[in-house]
Amino acid sequence: MIVVKNLYKTFKIAKKQKKEKGSFCADGKVHAVSGVSFECRPGRIFCLLGPNGAGKTTILRMIATLMKPDSGSIEVAGYDAVESAQKVRAHLGFLTGTTKLYDRLTTKELVKYYADLHGMNNTDFNRRKEELFDLLDMNDFADRRIGKLSSGMKQKVSIVRTIIHDPDVVIFDEPTVGLDVITSRSIIDLIRRCKSKNKTVIFSTHIMSEVSFLSDDLAILHEGKLLYNDTYQTFEDRMQARSLEEEFIRVLQEEKS
Amino acid sequence: MKTILTVFRKELKDSLRDRRTVITMIIVPLLMFPVMIGLTSRFIMSHEAKAQVRELKVGVLAGNNAGKFVEMLNEQENILIFEQIQLEEGQALVASDSLNAFIVFHEEFNRQISELGQGEITFYLKETEEREIEIDRILELLGEYEELLRIDRFEALNLDISIIETLAVSKVNLATPKEQLADMVGGILPYMFILFCFMGSMYPSIDLAAGEKERGTLETLLTSPVNRFQILIGKFGVVVLTGISSAAVSLFGLYLGIRYISSIPAEFVDMAMSILEPGSILILLSLLLPLSVFFAGLLLSISFTAKTYKEAQSKIGPLFPVIIIPAFIGMMPGMNLNASTALIPILTVSLATRTIMAGQADVSIMIIVYLSLAVYAGAALFLCSKTFSRESAILQ
Repeated sequence: MIVVKNLYKTFKIAKKQKKEKGSFCADGKVHAVSGVSFECRPGRIFCLLGPNGAGKTTILRMIATLMKPDSGSIEVAGYDAVESAQKVRAHLGFLTGTTKLYDRLTTKELVKYYADLHGMNNTDFNRRKEELFDLLDMNDFADRRIGKLSSGMKQKVSIVRTIIHDPDVVIFDEPTVGLDVITSRSIIDLIRRCKSKNKTVIFSTHIMSEVSFLSDDLAILHEGKLLYNDTYQTFEDRMQARSLEEEFIRVLQEEKS
Repeated sequence: MKTILTVFRKELKDSLRDRRTVITMIIVPLLMFPVMIGLTSRFIMSHEAKAQVRELKVGVLAGNNAGKFVEMLNEQENILIFEQIQLEEGQALVASDSLNAFIVFHEEFNRQISELGQGEITFYLKETEEREIEIDRILELLGEYEELLRIDRFEALNLDISIIETLAVSKVNLATPKEQLADMVGGILPYMFILFCFMGSMYPSIDLAAGEKERGTLETLLTSPVNRFQILIGKFGVVVLTGISSAAVSLFGLYLGIRYISSIPAEFVDMAMSILEPGSILILLSLLLPLSVFFAGLLLSISFTAKTYKEAQSKIGPLFPVIIIPAFIGMMPGMNLNASTALIPILTVSLATRTIMAGQADVSIMIIVYLSLAVYAGAALFLCSKTFSRESAILQ
């Protein structure tokens, strides 16, 4: 479970950036997130949809305790993200599309490293590793260095690294960016598998097709503010445009006007 | 502690698999001293040997004044004498390198000598460091010639030549071999140790901070249930270890170079071995440890503010003179370790190393050295932890 209440986050910006951004940050600050509230429930996939710069990554980073909010609260798996950051991190897995791995470690060494950081004992680690390596067909390259793997193999390693400790909450920040169709498919499968195992899943994207076949709940974010927050089914039912993409653009334009 | 060790082990393994780190941490420091010592000693020896046997062309304009000197030149091997040269021509030949030297006796030279005056000789040469040995060969002959004239003069006056020696000075060198060696190489060795300590820390600090940010692995590492300070200490430990290892490996390379390079004079080897004893080495390493922590703190702090590996390299570049200048000042003659110089970072290590090598370390000054190093190391660690706790520094 993730509960986000009235979240705010601003960033100071350089003078040069201030000129580029204009009135959006007249006070020398970028208001990356402004008064955002939502809930992600176990066994459901929560999709955070928004154009580039909408504040998706900032929100996910705050949930993952990488950043502290200016105000508002975040509760993950029953723990406050500011007060009990380490406990929050113990219950979550975090995967982004831009995440790379340690090229000089082998697959097994890398997965073991993250298991150790999560305090897993050897018995649990071996059981979980065997289960995931079999599931994703990774045994052939278990002892190969990451730098020698194909991008598809690396993505599998990323997946195992994210869920080796069997987290209750899984965060995906634009997980399929830059990936080919086959590799993207492995991520989509992972998201579905997490849902079937009653995990809380939140993922951000700007790819409409992913929204339509994954989302249970949907939030549309623009310039740090939530424009929509309800079930995906409700969004679809209320659509005024012909396609999801057109409806998304319509909602954004309505907000601007 | 277990978490710090987990991070440390992983970072160390990762760093040791990086070719650049291995080259700067092990290979360069190990080979630098043996190669430097071997090449330098061989070059000097061969240069000297060649200069001693090289054929010299010497012009002499003496008229009837210097028969004996020309005889002496004739007796020498590898000296060609040219006597039929006029003044201007001789000068031009030296200037164009056709002659090595041109010696002109005053036309009244014999009269000057016989009247108990000074015989005037003008020595035309091109005085460069490269020709020093060749010039010395001719000056030595002129010295011998002067001695002959002096003996002749004293005999003619029926005097014993020893009467001009009014003092009999016996020089007895009481400097220990350690002090003599510290005087000879005491500046350059700490300079090299400091440099290797810095270079050894540099690549791992860039790789473990900016490199990890650039690769996008830092973000996922920070989502693990580990305290940020534990991650930092794990990384810090690796940078400190590589820095001090690099200096220690260079010390080992120095030992191998001195012990096994045959062209080094035996007395120098004995002197060096008296310094490279376990006690001195341990004290040297104990100085390099806080220095390495200081470097690790500085380098990681800078590296964490860079977004990419290249940016970190260009940000760290200007730090080189800041490190090298105090280390270089420590090489200068007249610089001594005292309560003031002991407070200047890097210079304190350079001067303390010299003092230890000479076996002259003063306990109270050494306490100041260690205290100042501990303060600088602590400040660098504090700066680094502050940088690592800034969101803007650790997230792309």
